[in-house]
Amino acid sequence: MISQPETFCSAQPWVPEEAGYFAVPGAHLYTVLHRVAEPLARILLVGPFASERQNSYLPWVRWARHLAARRIEVLRYDYRGVGESFGRFEEMTFNEWSEDLRLLGHWFTKREPSVPVVLHGLEIGAILAAANFLRGMGDALLLWSPPANANQALRSTLIRWVGLEQLLTPGAERRTAGDYIRQLEEGTSVEVEGYQWSARLWQASFDWELPVELSNERGTHEQQRPVRIVKLPKEAAPLVKGGFVGYDEVKDFTWLFQENADWIEGYVTTRNRVGNEAIS
Amino acid sequence: MKPSVEGRELITLEVEGAPIHCTYHWLPVSDTFGPDEGRVGVLFLNSLSLPRAATGDSAVYWADALAACGYPSFRIDLPGLGDSEGDLPRELLDFINSGGFARRAAQSVQELIDRFHLSGIVLVGHCAGAVSALYTAAGSTTCKGLVLLDVYFHLPQAVRPKVRRELSDWALKSRVGRVLSRIYHTMKKIRLLLRGDRPPENANFRLLSRWDEISSAGLPILILKAPARQAIGAKPRKGEFDYLAYILKRVKNRNQVTVKLTEGTDHSFANRLGRDAVRQHIEDWLRSYFPLPQQ
Repeated sequence: MISQPETFCSAQPWVPEEAGYFAVPGAHLYTVLHRVAEPLARILLVGPFASERQNSYLPWVRWARHLAARRIEVLRYDYRGVGESFGRFEEMTFNEWSEDLRLLGHWFTKREPSVPVVLHGLEIGAILAAANFLRGMGDALLLWSPPANANQALRSTLIRWVGLEQLLTPGAERRTAGDYIRQLEEGTSVEVEGYQWSARLWQASFDWELPVELSNERGTHEQQRPVRIVKLPKEAAPLVKGGFVGYDEVKDFTWLFQENADWIEGYVTTRNRVGNEAIS
Repeated sequence: MKPSVEGRELITLEVEGAPIHCTYHWLPVSDTFGPDEGRVGVLFLNSLSLPRAATGDSAVYWADALAACGYPSFRIDLPGLGDSEGDLPRELLDFINSGGFARRAAQSVQELIDRFHLSGIVLVGHCAGAVSALYTAAGSTTCKGLVLLDVYFHLPQAVRPKVRRELSDWALKSRVGRVLSRIYHTMKKIRLLLRGDRPPENANFRLLSRWDEISSAGLPILILKAPARQAIGAKPRKGEFDYLAYILKRVKNRNQVTVKLTEGTDHSFANRLGRDAVRQHIEDWLRSYFPLPQQ
């Protein structure tokens, strides 16, 4: 007989979750829709990138469930070439991923009933979400730990991976992060945790920046639509790099989820009140 | 949104009233093997807390490849993992090491067999997933074989104490540390020799007894090992108990267990060399033990 552990990471109240494939030119994206009958708002989650996905998946899904339980309909998906989505990762760059997001956003914002749509991105996902937001997608933007540019995020993933590799590699064969970066800059791809990073991806990552309009507090306040940027603390691992595999994924994230869902609800309430006042 | 495209279908199993998310890899339209009915299917279980795609999406690659060879393949998210709902224990590793997922994994196996009219299932597990696969196979009549990637038979700690981690890092990085580390592991080796063939105190004895059940039932088993740090071949590093030698000694028919070392990879088997080697080993092994019906 298996003894029941004392503390559990509990599931949220059940909301239908529909997994499906969304067609984009040349591939199909894996999506999960957390369907809500009478939603207050919708949120499109632009999640952890490539090898970050496997460690962040559990808290990311629980965040989606937390939102759905609060009547916020959620659409989450896997990047093309990653996870359950089709496509070859090594052939992708940020243009394709941004275009995929645009197509998904177009579909999601057309759903009925019409309610405010929030775009939410994590790390590289935040860069993609911000870019699409400035092109007019969504009514509000929530960013978790956006890097200054995509290269910063790739670099920190690389450094962490090299650290792990060094633990397993005999001294003479050990390579530093600098060695791999040189390799990428010389045009040769590098395999990082099962994903083939092309030199093209590395080069393009410098150009994908957090837009200047959103890179400081003043800029975010000047936006016509609400923007919230949260730098996640290390306690948020594995949503940010760090933590222990098999341990940190199941910890309690209510402190993070509650506060951010409150912000979305607050925005929707304000918007509805302003709308009602305008009508009356 | 479509539930099925390009040789994959998203299906939901129902286990104890809760939905279990699963990706079914089916044969392409140009199937030369006939319908799935009566064949052996392959089911991949989650490794620890990873979603069903596994590290670097290696499980997606393997399932696609095995389906293309004629073996319908499935990847599930056990309850609470990946996309499947359910409560998870805070001490996930302990839960898995005590067989916590076995009952619901066995129910998933049965549902797949019933739904797709399969003759049986081969379970594939990596690391903690291999532990779950062993527990699931024990006592099962529908599990026809096991593929175990870097299976372990001890009870590891989910989080090692900080002092211990820092000591290990230091031992790796400093010359003095490396010398002391060698002395430490030599002492461990002497201690092991004094113990004889008995597994150490932190062995997972419950799992070892499941191994005995399975091996006495004659189940074909493929064990794949990645090179370990400071180890030679399939042997563990100096000072560590050789569980592989131990379990192989307990097998009555040595031919039922195949052991392969995959060079050029690491514990995740996710790099190109690792995933190709794993694919090839599983394909060869399946063809040998579960030949496809002739058209």
